Amino acid sequence: MNFFRGVIGGQPAGPQPSGAETIQKLCDRVASSTLLEDRRDAVRALKSLSKVQMLSETSFSLSSDSSDSEIIGYTLDTLYNIISNDEEEEQDENSQKQGDDLGVQFTEIYIKDSENVTLLLTLLEEFDFHVRWPGVKLLTALLKNQCAQVQGIILVSPMGVSRLMDLLADSREVIRNDGLLLLQQLTKGNAAIQKIVAFENAFERLLDIITEEGTSDGGIVVEDCLLLLLNLLKNNSSNQNFFKEGSYIQRMRPWFEVGDDNSGWSAQKVTNLHLMLQLVRVLVSPVNSPGATSSCQKSMYQCGLLQQLCTILMATGVPADILTETINTVSEVIRGSQVNQDYFASVNAPSNPPRPAIVVLLMSMVNERQPFVLRCAVLYCFQCFLYKNQKGQGEIVATLLPSTIDANSISAGQLLCGGLFSADSLSNWCAAVALAHALQDNPTQKEQLLRVQLATSLGNPPVSLLQQCTNILSQGDKIDRRGSKVQTRVGLLMLLCTWISSCPIAVTHFLHNQDNVPFLTAQISENLGEDERLVQGLCALLLGICIYYNDNSLENYTKEKLKQLIERRIGKENFVEKLGFITKHELYSRAAQKPQPSFSSPEQMLFDHEFTKLVKELEGVITKTVHKSSEEEKKEEEVKKTLEQHDSIVTQYKELIREQDTEIKELKEKVSALTSQNEQMQTTIAQQMSQIQQHKDQYNVLKIKLGKDNQQSSGQAEGAHVNGLQLEELEELRRQNAELQTQLADKDTLITSLKSEGTQAVEGSAGPSDSAEILKELEMLRGQTQSQSAEISQLRAEKQDLLRKTVPGVLQVYVQAKMGELESRLSTQTGEVERLKEEVKALLESRASLEQQLASANSTVAILQTEKDKLQNEVVESKKEQDELLVLLADQDQKIMALKQKLKDLGETIEDEDDLDSKDQFDDDDDDDDDEEEDEEDEDEEDEEDNE
Amino acid sequence: MAYAYLFKYIIIGDTGVGKSCLLLQFTDKRFQPVHDLTIGVEFGARMITIDGKQIKLQIWDTAGQESFRSITRSYYRGAAGALLVYDITRRDTFNHLTTWLEDARQHSNSNMVIMLIGNKSDLESRREVKKEEGEAFAREHGLIFMETSAKTASNVEEAFINTAKEIYEKIQEGVFDINNEKRLKNGRKLSCCYTTTTDASISALRTQVKDRGLWRRSIYAVARNQRQLNGT
Ligand SMILES: Nc1nc2c(ncn2[C@@H]2O[C@H](COP(=O)(O)OP(=O)(O)OP(=O)(O)O)[C@@H](O)[C@H]2O)c(=O)[nH]1
Ligand SMILES: [Mg+2]
Repeated sequence: MNFFRGVIGGQPAGPQPSGAETIQKLCDRVASSTLLEDRRDAVRALKSLSKVQMLSETSFSLSSDSSDSEIIGYTLDTLYNIISNDEEEEQDENSQKQGDDLGVQFTEIYIKDSENVTLLLTLLEEFDFHVRWPGVKLLTALLKNQCAQVQGIILVSPMGVSRLMDLLADSREVIRNDGLLLLQQLTKGNAAIQKIVAFENAFERLLDIITEEGTSDGGIVVEDCLLLLLNLLKNNSSNQNFFKEGSYIQRMRPWFEVGDDNSGWSAQKVTNLHLMLQLVRVLVSPVNSPGATSSCQKSMYQCGLLQQLCTILMATGVPADILTETINTVSEVIRGSQVNQDYFASVNAPSNPPRPAIVVLLMSMVNERQPFVLRCAVLYCFQCFLYKNQKGQGEIVATLLPSTIDANSISAGQLLCGGLFSADSLSNWCAAVALAHALQDNPTQKEQLLRVQLATSLGNPPVSLLQQCTNILSQGDKIDRRGSKVQTRVGLLMLLCTWISSCPIAVTHFLHNQDNVPFLTAQISENLGEDERLVQGLCALLLGICIYYNDNSLENYTKEKLKQLIERRIGKENFVEKLGFITKHELYSRAAQKPQPSFSSPEQMLFDHEFTKLVKELEGVITKTVHKSSEEEKKEEEVKKTLEQHDSIVTQYKELIREQDTEIKELKEKVSALTSQNEQMQTTIAQQMSQIQQHKDQYNVLKIKLGKDNQQSSGQAEGAHVNGLQLEELEELRRQNAELQTQLADKDTLITSLKSEGTQAVEGSAGPSDSAEILKELEMLRGQTQSQSAEISQLRAEKQDLLRKTVPGVLQVYVQAKMGELESRLSTQTGEVERLKEEVKALLESRASLEQQLASANSTVAILQTEKDKLQNEVVESKKEQDELLVLLADQDQKIMALKQKLKDLGETIEDEDDLDSKDQFDDDDDDDDDEEEDEEDEDEEDEEDNE
Repeated sequence: MAYAYLFKYIIIGDTGVGKSCLLLQFTDKRFQPVHDLTIGVEFGARMITIDGKQIKLQIWDTAGQESFRSITRSYYRGAAGALLVYDITRRDTFNHLTTWLEDARQHSNSNMVIMLIGNKSDLESRREVKKEEGEAFAREHGLIFMETSAKTASNVEEAFINTAKEIYEKIQEGVFDINNEKRLKNGRKLSCCYTTTTDASISALRTQVKDRGLWRRSIYAVARNQRQLNGT
């Protein structure tokens, strides 16, 4: 379309002319141009413009009768051709741009009436290939040219987006694939549309297509799906959440099963894998909210995605750029997640002997022959491994300590030291930064690292790592380094700053060497060239840290003396200006933006992200410190001390409150345990009571029965009429007696067991000692609380005193607020304690009543016992009586027999019954009883019985 | 985590009635006192159990502001349930219900279960809409009704779960057409789960275990007594 070049090509960048303006311009040209060719071009352009107008009207009218889909199809196709400028011409850069401009204007004309777009959306519902396909292409072209406007129209047309989503379900691959391209354009930079597309099940559908197509081995369709997924997820936390909640992370794992089968790494596969890795990174990017990132990190570990990535890391034959991106991805998957970091630390390379992955990676970082981007990636990975990972930091530093050094294998520490002192400035920088990350926010490791000694040349004594770093800085280089000298020095200075900041012991170590301070002052005061300014700034920072974190333990280098030194040698203003060089450096703000080290060239590798944070934190305070007079300093010191005191008091109270919290919790638990035990006890007691009642009833029954028996037996005795029936009853009584006795015995045991259980239960449940303890504890707590309140008020008085003297208003308010907070917490706690006490009291009361109940139960038992004893006695007595009666009975029987015999002998006739008597003595009639005598002696009875 | 069904919900209603707060209370058990105006739509999810079946709820919280109305309409079609929320302390939000309902009925699947919610029930002193009015409106339009408080969490759980129960019953009855059921059903088993066990739930578990221990001990004591009783 070079004929348009003359028409509107002369326009410089700026606001693009609107359609109307263009038409106006073209008309002017036609009217006024002197060149025939120019006029002709203008006319052609006008014709094309009018075609757009016409065609859109045509399609509009056609759709109303929508009789001929073929005509609609052609119309759409023509429109597409005009708008997309996809025409025959030669595509030099200029003409391409030209065409785009025109396409934009045509589009503008077309969409001015939003009905045109709505109509197009309706036409897309038409299943006919001849309509759908050009329709998709046309809409894509419109979106490409005027993205935001077309998006706006689609967004407000009901079901607009969901109609377009249906394209992905089209069985005709061409349409599905072009649908993907359409959705890519549609979702560009529009969060609202991205969310609707996701809502319309895009994730499910796209992941299905990727799987169907063979994941990374799939063709360009997979790439298109991945691009669309990236559009949907990038900077869209709602969609990221949906993606995670929909368990789609799990479905990404198989994408990375590339293993060691490296036969084919086609360009397409590399592209696909690249996008897949990017997709993972979008979900765990450090810029996402921490909660979102950490939950994605968690699922990535749980579903094995991280493990899969680590496999790629250690596989052979993986293309370098994939490897680099995999390292970057692993970095962000583990960053700040302890579980993932621990896993990463445990990964071994399949070498012989197996080496930790970390060591293998560090080898690449300090290896000059490795690509720059790969080395940056390794550094990033190492940083992410150590980010918020005190354990990992400790492990890395430990590999340098004399006690744990293992001479036989290469360790991370060795590699870092090697890098620190190698002849390659890039290695120096990387190693210094890596080591600094092992010390980040970790005072313990800062102190540990002071112990590291290095063996220098033979015969010389070993020198500390700290000293060696400063030596290289101060003595300049004896070795001829490759790369930039500044890079090495910046790296080392960043390491030193990180190392000694917040660590007075390290500051003392640093100052202890007499050469260091003079070197720094010399560096700062000198008037050096542009490229040395950064080094000067860093030296100023280092000196500033030496002042700020100085504990005045070295006579020659106290805070005060160092400040005087600055004033004399450098000048305060000069010092502060030099300090400012750091943040003013052009590369500083770029490094401050994000954690990943990304430099366009090795020379730009100067700032580390974490270090920029340190600078931000220290620049202000150091400036203030340097400006302050010693008087102010002293005052400040005092205030600081008071503050610290107060802080420590506050922490003390916090600690106390925490303790009380736990105590209260324990007490609460105890109370609830006691309550449930109490309930349990009550049921047991109730059961026992009912048992006792049962026993009582039984006793009563027995008593009555026994009473009857007694009456019977006494009746027998009175009647003195003995016969067989009575004997049988006696037998029965005896049996009953025995039974009673066993029952009594049983009951005895039961009662004792009940008794013992009762006491047990009482002991076990309430545990008088326990509640006493609780009470005691409560008492103690209350005492503590009271004494604390007293202390608080005393302290408050003291504090107010102090504050009046020294502390500025803000501080006072702060301390007061803190105290107030503490007091209110204490008072709530006191209330809590009070409440608990109440509860315990209530419990104790209920326990007491329980005990009472038990006691009364016990006394009932005792009464029953005596009654039982009485009954037993009665039984024994009645038995004795019965025995006696029996003897008497037998006696009299004998006598009767003897008398009968005598009567017979005397010739008296005996009544009929007597015969019966002789036959069966025990069936005797009652009638004879009257004649019986009872005065006979026992011996006689026996004799007579013997005779019989 | 395996789940038997996947239900999509939308939450609709005037701006400021507490839609986002209801969602936050349901998913995070938190309350947000500041009105954080929703832009477009926000997503939230939670798993629930109905009839012994795990059901995943995917919830889209829409912006109530008029200017977003056209965007939020796109979410009606795929939703199985809708929470239509008004604020009991603002009568105008109640008056707008008819418009909302028309909008929902027009753009949604006819089987979409709609739960009418009168929110901010904790602000009894400022009430402008009587509970009976809400009930009457619901009865008239065939909706389920509840009053909730996203602040105190009162009825929040129930609102979401009862809606799911209704949908579940519709599925059991076969009311949801196949097309829709395909949308809802998702029997895919997932090999991984990523439940976050909070400290609070751990301590709750701990007390449960402790309670169970006590309970077992008491059971034991009763059994012992029983044995003794039987012995006599
Ligand atoms: N007292 C009380 N306040 C509530 C309750 N629910 C929400 N609020 C408050 O109402 C205001 C609005 O709540 P949001 O949930 O942000 O409102 P929304 O419906 O999501 O509003 P849009 O996003 O604009 O549609 C906030 O200040 C909440 O703190 C409730 O149950 N009780
Ligand atoms: Mg909201």
